[in-house]
Amino acid sequence: MSSTIAEREIALVDLVDRLLAGGVVIAGDITLSVADVDLVYVSLRALISSVASAEEQGALPRMGDAL
Amino acid sequence: MIELYAIARHPGPTLPGLASLRAVPFDGLAVVCGPAVEAEEITEAALWRHEEIVEALMDDRDLLPVRYGTRVADEAEAARAFAAQRDQLRAALERVSGAVELSLRVRAQEPGSEPDLSSLRPHAREAIEQAGRDEGELRRCAYLVERGRVDAFRAAVARLQQSHPDLGFLLTGPWPPYSFSGP
Repeated sequence: MSSTIAEREIALVDLVDRLLAGGVVIAGDITLSVADVDLVYVSLRALISSVASAEEQGALPRMGDAL
Repeated sequence: MIELYAIARHPGPTLPGLASLRAVPFDGLAVVCGPAVEAEEITEAALWRHEEIVEALMDDRDLLPVRYGTRVADEAEAARAFAAQRDQLRAALERVSGAVELSLRVRAQEPGSEPDLSSLRPHAREAIEQAGRDEGELRRCAYLVERGRVDAFRAAVARLQQSHPDLGFLLTGPWPPYSFSGP
């Protein structure tokens, strides 16, 4: 996907959204339970919120700046 | 254990030479899988590792990404797990055929502004536009866009950004169609 580090940081929120909440799901055993997913959100929250606050402050490139 | 990455039509193009990928056929479809990384901790790097494999597959085929963390004992179980939903999977593959997903989040420094995203719709096959989830986030959207129209979609977002300097338009992708693979 994105190539620059800043784009990857922005994309992390979108990545987590998609990999952990999207896609095809099978009925039956899935090793990653909903509880696990919640844990992932917790462990990634610090990182994601730091990205969000950087977005807030305009510290990351916006559409049209870099693309 | 094996880790499942995507559902695609079978037969399909040769698999990329990474992660010891194998295609397990069932009913004209195949589930692409590889050996599971033992006791993988879910980190940013682990998510990107998985994503890069799915993106490599996406380069030359239509696919439905499988949710991260889906593991089964062996290939026979992988085929069995999906066989029951083969009709839905075929329909879902048609739905995303020739298209990719773009993510757009709209942020605002000041609360109260309402972005008008209607100019993006003509460039997308489907759209999921939801309210923002964090403070300062106005919208969290996913668009299913034909591969040949990705640049036009980007340009449309760039025009929105120019006419709304008070908002931040965060566009990422192309992603595998994670938001358009379900029922």
